[in-house]
Amino acid sequence: MTHPGLARLTAVFAWVGLASLGGGRSAYFHDALVTRRRWLSDEAFLQDLAISQILPGPNFSNLAVALGFRLAGFAGAACALVALVLPGVVILLALAVVYLRGGFNPAAGSAMHGMGAAVVGLIAVMSARIIRAGLRERLAVLLAAATAIAVGPLGLPTVWVIAGASAVGLWLHWPRASEALTPRGSP
Amino acid sequence: MDLLRMSWTFLWLSFLCIGGGLGVIPELERQSVTVHHWLTAREFLDGYTLAQLTPGPNMKVAAFIGYRAHGLAGGLLAAFAMFVPPAIVTAVVAHRWRRIRGRAWAMAVERTLAPIGIGLMAGGVYTLARSAIHDTFTAGIAVAAALALALRPVPPIAVMLAAGIAGWLFR
Repeated sequence: MTHPGLARLTAVFAWVGLASLGGGRSAYFHDALVTRRRWLSDEAFLQDLAISQILPGPNFSNLAVALGFRLAGFAGAACALVALVLPGVVILLALAVVYLRGGFNPAAGSAMHGMGAAVVGLIAVMSARIIRAGLRERLAVLLAAATAIAVGPLGLPTVWVIAGASAVGLWLHWPRASEALTPRGSP
Repeated sequence: MDLLRMSWTFLWLSFLCIGGGLGVIPELERQSVTVHHWLTAREFLDGYTLAQLTPGPNMKVAAFIGYRAHGLAGGLLAAFAMFVPPAIVTAVVAHRWRRIRGRAWAMAVERTLAPIGIGLMAGGVYTLARSAIHDTFTAGIAVAAALALALRPVPPIAVMLAAGIAGWLFR
């Protein structure tokens, strides 16, 4: 595994960010860092993917931070974050200026309606793929379904839903005394 | 004062993004539209669409909301609050992950948070669908976009552009 310099890392992460139109997805990073450049192994990538999904915060930028840290330490993590997020934020703010001044004519408004509807279709399919890959046990399915119904149709505040579902999930998954006796690796 | 409150709101919202930004969309909309009136529901959806259309993570929609409420400073501060604090946590945990993940309690946390993240994501799809789909035309576009992505490996941006053209031509 070769380790790129910070400048090279920043350039590649900026490119991944710029190429990820229509919503950032982890697959872009896999393609850029594992398949094309062989900077990372599949195993290392999957471990960072798990970290970024488990930890709070926007997934795509967290994945960039975890990968950047693995490639070049804390400096790599900082460069990765800025390179991934800043170009898109600048472009979005430029569009926001135009949009909020009413600079988009009615035709642009209709186009936005169409695209807003398309977003729903796209994320529905992407979510279905993640559901298929991530939900295996019955307990996981129940926890996910209860959470979805609570924040979606019921419209309950997300904080309370996460707190409640976490309490139930941890209570059901917490290691029992017999499991706690098995060796754990490091103390 | 409201600028501070907004930064604080986005900061704690950023820590609710488990399983991707989609999970926090319902609460982000509730806080921004219903609770604090930083923008209208229509603007929220358009901002989210713009965030999808532009490169990078979708959660940069925070910058759009911040800009709408407080101009350039608001936009940049909102993006900072949304991305930087969780990034610091991620870097620190990535630093220690190898030692943490072998433990039994870490497995319990992993097995609990993964399905909750997926559930939040699914709830986010519902919330977005309710604001974006209001007639057969928009429903048709959503279904067509889903079919296009499900059946062929088309880039999402191509689907978005096609839907934009369809909206422009037929509405």
